[in-house]
Amino acid sequence: MIESIILWLLAILLAPFFSAIMFKVKAFFGGRKGSPLLINYYTLIKLFKKGSVYSTSTTAVFKLGPIISFTSAITVLMFLPIAGHHPIFSFNGDVIFILYLMGLGRFFTIAAAMDTASPFEGMGAAREAYFPIICEAAMFMILIFFYRLTGHLQLSAYFTGDNTIALWNLGGAPLLFIVISFFIILLTENSRVPVDDPATHLELTMIHEVMVLDHSGPDLGLIELGSFCKLFFYSTIVSRLILPFDFKISAMGYFVFVLGLIIVYVAIGLTESVIARYRMDKVPQFVLTSFALAFFATIITLEFI
Amino acid sequence: MSQFFMSILIIVFGGFLSLILARQFKLMKMVAVFSLSAGCFWGLFDAVTKLMQSGSDAASFKYLNVFSLAFQIDGLSAFFLVVIFAVCLVAVIYSFHYMDHSGEAVRTAVHYFFFSILIASMALVVTAANMITFMLSWEIMSLSSFFLVIYNYESSENRKAGYLYFVFSHVGAMFIFAAFGIVYGYTGSFGFGAMDSIPETAKIVVFIFSFIGFGSKAGVFPFHVWLPHAHPAAPSHISAVMSGVMIKIGIYGIVKMYTLLNFHTPLFGNIVLVAGVVSGILGVVYALGQHDLKRLLAYHSVENIGIILIGLGIGMIGVSSGNPLMAVLGFSGGFLHVLNHSIFKSVLFMGAGMVLHKTGTRTIDALGGLLKKMKITGATFIIGSLAICGLPPFNGFVSEFFIYIGGFKGIGLENSAFVMSIFAIISLAVIGGLALACFTKVVGVVFQGEPRTKAAVNVDEKGSTMLASMLILAGACIFIGIFPGAFIQMSIKAVSALGLGYGHVPLEPFGQMTANITFAAMVFLVSLLVVIAIRWFYYRGKTITKSGTWGCGFTQPTAKMQYTGSSYAASILEFFSPAAPLDEDHPKIKGRFPEKTYYKSHVNDIAELNMKGVIVNPVLFIFDKLRWIQHGDIHLYIGYILLAIVLLLFFI
Repeated sequence: MIESIILWLLAILLAPFFSAIMFKVKAFFGGRKGSPLLINYYTLIKLFKKGSVYSTSTTAVFKLGPIISFTSAITVLMFLPIAGHHPIFSFNGDVIFILYLMGLGRFFTIAAAMDTASPFEGMGAAREAYFPIICEAAMFMILIFFYRLTGHLQLSAYFTGDNTIALWNLGGAPLLFIVISFFIILLTENSRVPVDDPATHLELTMIHEVMVLDHSGPDLGLIELGSFCKLFFYSTIVSRLILPFDFKISAMGYFVFVLGLIIVYVAIGLTESVIARYRMDKVPQFVLTSFALAFFATIITLEFI
Repeated sequence: MSQFFMSILIIVFGGFLSLILARQFKLMKMVAVFSLSAGCFWGLFDAVTKLMQSGSDAASFKYLNVFSLAFQIDGLSAFFLVVIFAVCLVAVIYSFHYMDHSGEAVRTAVHYFFFSILIASMALVVTAANMITFMLSWEIMSLSSFFLVIYNYESSENRKAGYLYFVFSHVGAMFIFAAFGIVYGYTGSFGFGAMDSIPETAKIVVFIFSFIGFGSKAGVFPFHVWLPHAHPAAPSHISAVMSGVMIKIGIYGIVKMYTLLNFHTPLFGNIVLVAGVVSGILGVVYALGQHDLKRLLAYHSVENIGIILIGLGIGMIGVSSGNPLMAVLGFSGGFLHVLNHSIFKSVLFMGAGMVLHKTGTRTIDALGGLLKKMKITGATFIIGSLAICGLPPFNGFVSEFFIYIGGFKGIGLENSAFVMSIFAIISLAVIGGLALACFTKVVGVVFQGEPRTKAAVNVDEKGSTMLASMLILAGACIFIGIFPGAFIQMSIKAVSALGLGYGHVPLEPFGQMTANITFAAMVFLVSLLVVIAIRWFYYRGKTITKSGTWGCGFTQPTAKMQYTGSSYAASILEFFSPAAPLDEDHPKIKGRFPEKTYYKSHVNDIAELNMKGVIVNPVLFIFDKLRWIQHGDIHLYIGYILLAIVLLLFFI
């Protein structure tokens, strides 16, 4: 339990660091030196030191937005097995709770954006409401796949100890589909290229970044930290799936886990460097791919297992 | 049973009193609201006691020495009685300040009269123990609600809505009559008890007929066409009762028939589940395309009926494939969603009623920024929205959680049950996402941002009974969301009354699930408090400035530039355009200095679109050909009657 809580705290504290790896990779491909690896901490410290400017159009919902999205991000991490360790909390059906909790975070992010009366933020909000619908369907398809293999409905049954190895033994090749499908969901849910380009210069083409335009100071800090945590959540799962090994020596376990994380973040950076973002109306097709992959994986297991 | 009849009597008596006192507006309202709510409270108290003691109670009367009127309260009826009385109680209280046109005293009195009849007849439908009693109460329910729909009969739109509702409820009743007729043909008795003795093929026909009949009342796609017209037409608390309670009586009918037929074929489960999936997804897609706030909420009723049917379908599949856990999870999730939906949909309709009352418009794109002036209405509406999206820690999540778990139990099964479970789970996920999109649209456009037209500028919220009812219901949404234990127990009591042959359903595993939900909600709320504390800590002594919204470099933004509800929903609707064709109308913009222009859009409901071509026109054509029978000569009409009797004498 104590170990789980320490891991949870470490996850929140280290999430900004891993995101910086992604920026480094992008800088490398852009032929730049890039910002230092601790850049996100500098930004967060700067933001938490500042005061805030609130738009006269906004209400209390605008302030609730960052609070609830951040709370849902860190609560979700409490249910996540980190490096194969037991999570702080776990119960049958916790995956559904987690997915819906993220929905709650999204509701308030969108509501906070709509609160500003800005047409740009409304546009971003509409997209933020649209794409995750398909993601959610794909997530539940993956859950169906996992349930079919294990008969459980909790994250700890998939990702703790040697459960992940057992998953590979049971699932075999179709699990590769799941990894790719999950990676696509990761890109979509965390607004990365090719779905969304957080680094673009034009508000009109952003999704997530434009929704937080009016937030400032500690509020913006909470949003940023929350989105690092969210990315960490998805990356942990992918990392565990690609390197499912369970070691008796815990140091070895942590090393492999961090290695997996670095691979995932580098992969995201690579994707961002080599692919341009899709046109908005092409995005749903891209996201639907993840659903199709998970669906086929399930059908294959139906036949052979 | 006497307690139950006493409460019904008080309610009906209150309705009659309001007619007598119609000239004293204030007094009439007070008497009506007091006696209706007293009756509802008594009935609610009685139903909860009966449900908790899982007692069964029956009474019967001879009427005209020919028909016997029989009533029975078992777990299932008691559960629905709780829903009926609880929501009607709050709706009656809400009506006190909502019905404030003293110039329309007589009309208000008539409205209270029909309202009392509606409550009483709904309660009688769910306690009816034979076909005669059932149909009698059913027809009274349909008729009394018809008069409530045409409350504002001056508007031709409302008259049309009332007419549509009248036709649909009677075609639906015809199907129920047909189903009962088939049963009577086999058993020769009006009692419900003998229904499981009829042959299996007949059972299938009876179930399909009654599914169509009850489904048209419940608003199952494609029999829902009346619903988005009729619900917005009625006064808002009546919309809340119709959407929250009356359409659930249709659900009760479906479950009751399933129980009485006692035939556990996978077919029933599959029919119910597929109907649920279609209603669920299309309901929310059409809701997303609406411009009228109350119509949007009405379409969400179609969606939620879909979710309830998915739950029931999972339950039925669980029964037919011999998986008790899945069966109980599906049924109890569905029943709990009946209760939950009645609560959050009432909050939403009451909130919409307040908005309509104060701004005079239901057009979503004409509103904006209401949250600043209408704090309680806005806050309760947001709570209702979160609940209807099924988000934790609100009540909608609990019932959807149970249905999900039930669906996942079906993943372990084979063949059709497996496919159906995948279907159910994925569509629940999609419905959840779409509902979130739809309610962020409503909350964002109606309550947030800046007022788009003058109607939304100078508003306030007054009417203590209206605010109190919304607060009570919003509180219930949160309470059930965090402490669902007792409510799940209630719905499991209702499941035990279904007679699935499991005897006493063990509460242990479900108690564990509700404890988990409570625990998870607590974890979230504690983290929320910690985060609020952290935020407070970092904002201590900081300068907070107020300024305009960042216009991305544009310095002259106006309220007109805000994103509208139509544009918000446009891209999602485009994805679903085969099922929801969009009509757009706007002139081309010409020249360097274009003239003032407009944009109109309308999302077509394919059921409504095809109803005319597939059903209405052929029926009209046939009846047109039979017009010669109706010649207006009374002697010939008497001749018809004689001829019919003589012919019948040959056959019987």
